[in-house]
Amino acid sequence: MLLAGCGGPQSTLAPDGPAAQAAAWLWWGMFVWFGLVLLLVASLWLVAWRRRPRSYDAEQARQVGLRWILAGGVLLPGLSILVLLAFGIPLGLRMLPLPLGGPPPLRIEVTGHQWWWEVRYPETGVVTANQLILPVGQPVDLELASADVIHAFWVPRLGGKLDMLPGRRLTMRLRADRAGPYRGQCAEFCGSQHAHMVLAVEALEMADFNAWQAARRVEPAVAREHAAAVRAFRPYCGECHRVAGISDGRRAPDLSDVGARPGLGAGTLEMEQGAMRRWLREHQRLKPYNGMPRHDRLPEDTLDAIAAWLETLVP
Amino acid sequence: MNDTRNPERLHQDFEAVWGNPRGWRALSAVNHSSIGLRFMVTGTLFFLIGGLLAMLLRVQLARPDLPLIDPRTYSQLFTMHGSVMMFLFAVPMVEGLAVYLIPKMLGARDLVFPRLSAFGYWCYLFGGVILVSSLALGLAPAGGWFMYVPLSGDAHSPGVNPDFWLLGITFVEISSVAGGIELVVSILRSRAPGMSLDRMPLFAWYILVTGLMIVFGFPPLILGSILLELERAAGFAFFDVARGGDPLLWQHLFWLFGHPEVYIIFLPAAGIVSTLLPVFARRPAVGYRWLVLAVIGTGFLSFGLWVHHMFTVGIPLLGQAFFSAASMLVAVPTGIQVFAWLATLWTGRPLFNVPMLWLAGFLVIFVAGGLTGVMLALVPFDWQVHDTHFVVAHMHYVLVGGMLFPLVAGLYYWLPHFSGRLPSAQLGRWGFWLTFVGFNATFLVMHWTGLLGMPRRVYTYQAGLGWDLPNLVSSVGSFVMAMGVVMVLLDIGLHFRFGRRAGDNPWRADSLEWATALPPASYNFVSLPACTGRHPLWENPALGRGIAEGRHGLSIVDHGRRETWGSDPLTGQVREIIHLPGNSWLPLYAALVLTLVCLSLLNGAYALAGVAALATLGILLRWSWVNGAHPLAAPDERTQPGDPPLHSRTFDGPGLWGMGTALLANGVLFFSLIFAWFYLWTVAPKWRPPAQSPLPELPLLLDGLLLTAIVLGFHRLVRRLRRGEQRRLEAGLWTLAGLGLLQAAWLARILVAMPLAPAASAHDALIATTLGYLLLHCALAPLFSALQAWRVCLGLVGERAPYEPAVVLQWWDYCLLVFWVSYFALVLFPRGIGA
Repeated sequence: MLLAGCGGPQSTLAPDGPAAQAAAWLWWGMFVWFGLVLLLVASLWLVAWRRRPRSYDAEQARQVGLRWILAGGVLLPGLSILVLLAFGIPLGLRMLPLPLGGPPPLRIEVTGHQWWWEVRYPETGVVTANQLILPVGQPVDLELASADVIHAFWVPRLGGKLDMLPGRRLTMRLRADRAGPYRGQCAEFCGSQHAHMVLAVEALEMADFNAWQAARRVEPAVAREHAAAVRAFRPYCGECHRVAGISDGRRAPDLSDVGARPGLGAGTLEMEQGAMRRWLREHQRLKPYNGMPRHDRLPEDTLDAIAAWLETLVP
Repeated sequence: MNDTRNPERLHQDFEAVWGNPRGWRALSAVNHSSIGLRFMVTGTLFFLIGGLLAMLLRVQLARPDLPLIDPRTYSQLFTMHGSVMMFLFAVPMVEGLAVYLIPKMLGARDLVFPRLSAFGYWCYLFGGVILVSSLALGLAPAGGWFMYVPLSGDAHSPGVNPDFWLLGITFVEISSVAGGIELVVSILRSRAPGMSLDRMPLFAWYILVTGLMIVFGFPPLILGSILLELERAAGFAFFDVARGGDPLLWQHLFWLFGHPEVYIIFLPAAGIVSTLLPVFARRPAVGYRWLVLAVIGTGFLSFGLWVHHMFTVGIPLLGQAFFSAASMLVAVPTGIQVFAWLATLWTGRPLFNVPMLWLAGFLVIFVAGGLTGVMLALVPFDWQVHDTHFVVAHMHYVLVGGMLFPLVAGLYYWLPHFSGRLPSAQLGRWGFWLTFVGFNATFLVMHWTGLLGMPRRVYTYQAGLGWDLPNLVSSVGSFVMAMGVVMVLLDIGLHFRFGRRAGDNPWRADSLEWATALPPASYNFVSLPACTGRHPLWENPALGRGIAEGRHGLSIVDHGRRETWGSDPLTGQVREIIHLPGNSWLPLYAALVLTLVCLSLLNGAYALAGVAALATLGILLRWSWVNGAHPLAAPDERTQPGDPPLHSRTFDGPGLWGMGTALLANGVLFFSLIFAWFYLWTVAPKWRPPAQSPLPELPLLLDGLLLTAIVLGFHRLVRRLRRGEQRRLEAGLWTLAGLGLLQAAWLARILVAMPLAPAASAHDALIATTLGYLLLHCALAPLFSALQAWRVCLGLVGERAPYEPAVVLQWWDYCLLVFWVSYFALVLFPRGIGA
């Protein structure tokens, strides 16, 4: 029952990687120990308050006080701190991106924007947005940066969080121990739509991961029926959005594989039939103040055509 | 002096000198009881506003994907909830309580700078109103109460919203710092005769440490706010990476303030606990010395912890381990206090009443919050729960448990002071249980919400993440808690009408504030008793009557002066009579023109702001004019035979200590600026000092030597005055003022002639700011000195009233220190490292 309550796509208590696992163990250990301390202090108070008073003279009171202060005020916190640090510091050390014995881990660059994630695989040149695909069982070094304000990268079931700072590049080491989806979310307040800055993470077996990357290196061909949509897209959307082989905007999420992503608007909508159309029409209602202008100037059928084409962008 | 006199007659005589004016003239009152009450009533109103904002937040989060509150409005609401609760409720509330209680506990008649308390109140009120009005105008700041850059910078937050925060909060902080200085000096210098430090009530110890923490803790944020406002309004570069700044500089400055702030709120509340518990346990506090050491230790440690708010910004490992261990160490002084309280209860004969109920609630909630605090100090765990609802829960456990619960206990305890009546029992119990249950329902569950991965400051969340139920419970709980708060306010309101009349010392308490009438008269005590131990009213329960009958010191008032003892900071032996200024409009006027400064800065009317700033200076100088031998300050300088002299006739007045403490705060601000310089120099990713320093070394060096010569000359003047030589004092002061003006003008010329581009590089921006700061101080010094010369000419200062030049001397010394430290940092340091 208790463990069932620990679950959830973003729960720190349902760890699937070594860093998150260590933090979860720390939590349970501290929870038990500090729970006992709290119980002790509260019971002492209650007993002291309600028991039949005995009379102490000043000297006896001083003796009792000294004993209690030394035991409860010095010894108890002192020992607890020592034990905590003895566990905590080595565990923290192991989470850091220190050099490994073998080949260097896979590098992935993740950049925070208001309010979306840019993800680049420098070794293959693959670019995507709002989704992070990882190989299972491999340590991965995420190079975190920001294009505007401070964000924080956090996938609770894999590990702790690290800030994404303008002008700096911090590295975080993660490892996913099981294939499957994970959920990440920006953890540093970054403006009005901080709530809708979700990162869909998926850990794939190595072969699948390689296939995923390879597919994204092939430029998509445009089917004849979408030619009009592409013509409308290029001047109107292409200034900000990149689609491999079609436009080169950098200000907004890369859409080259948008049809294959699990969601839209960095976790605002789930990708399902008609979601793209709905997003293009209602995005300022669904995710107010997001950086994309309203599309009132575009005729409805053009907008629908663009939506239909974008849904086909599945490498 | 020792014969019994008619208390009624004495009361009338004292009231004539000490009483507040009636009607709208009451706005000119400076009495600490009135000011303290005003602080607390205003603080309560802001608490209700802050609480209302929290209710709105909880409504929006009650269910997933609720469309009730617009995201931008939501950001404004949580920013204002935090800012209002921290700056407009918690700090002013505890300061107000201290302003009310401290003189009474010390056996004094008022704080030593009554006009400063009034000024502090008006700054607080006007600053608070400006800040809160932004909500009504829809222009409230939306960057979080921590205002991180670059989000709160010009590019990402155009418009005046962040300016409301920066200016309004700075305005309120002036009030806090003024209060801090006032409390520190009053505690050190105006205690009852014989009240040595180790006889001082524990509450006074807590407030002394709190006051010092305010003096050291607030200036970094004031500096940060000034720098950010300069960046926003004038385009200076401090926090922009591209121009050599660093957003992390803001975080350091903010948390250098922000962490001590937490203890500034907690310590006075812990002081309430240490005051009430012995009274209700009918046992003197066990471990007095341990408690005092624990308070001082907490004060020290709290300045070494700020980085634990920044464990996720990529601080080097060694630093993290250090700050992690230091943060956990706070558990030791806190544990000492908790177990000293437990031992007091254990060895006492405890009573069971409403204030004790709140203390029990405090203990449970606060200890829980403290324990989650130790968890958070463990870096690998913090990486998980930082900026989640776990932290929201922890922080409310510490702040509500650690501050609100003891505060309510204290309000119930001191109610007879405010109304002369005792609180009811029934409604109070309901209020407590509703608040306690509602609080835990809201925040205990919230730990879980955070562990399940819900970040802070999100205006909504999706269904299916496991967050729905805990959020609903929290929202319902918050309404239960709100009902509890209403019940408490109702209880307190009703008791003013229906409460039983309180007799003398209704709780059989030990400290001197219960030796006054209930409610106390404006002057607190007709005669000022000597202190013979830690528990004056337990040692002599009839003390109050003797005081009212004028059996103790300073019971003559026909000279028309407001007087209290000036005592030795360590032993409490009487050194002089401090005579205090009476009611005055100047504090209100000064605060009003400062409001004008604030509003014109908000509207970009910089010329008007300049004029208003000059007007403020004028009013403050006018304020300082009524001092020393001025007939309004001391209408009659005769004292009773055997009494010590008036402080203005010595070299030892509280003003000396006030200036010293104010300069301490000012110095912290300056060193924060120097910290910024070294910090950016070593850490900023794109810091590029120019190949050729823009500073002209030789002219600066000569200017500094001139300043040094002036200060040495001033020292000579004051030394001669100490020996009682007034000859050539006036001429000397005029000369030094003239030279000082020359020095400042020269500095101004150097500053103007320098090729600085503060908008293009953080390097130049910091040089310009440091030199501007220096210039401001060097320009004020000759002004103060010229005023002294004039006062000597008018006979207001001289061998008869010698102590003001010693006060001005401190200012000169400070200028000298600032000059050479700046010279070292800006000129020698870059050359030394070969830039």
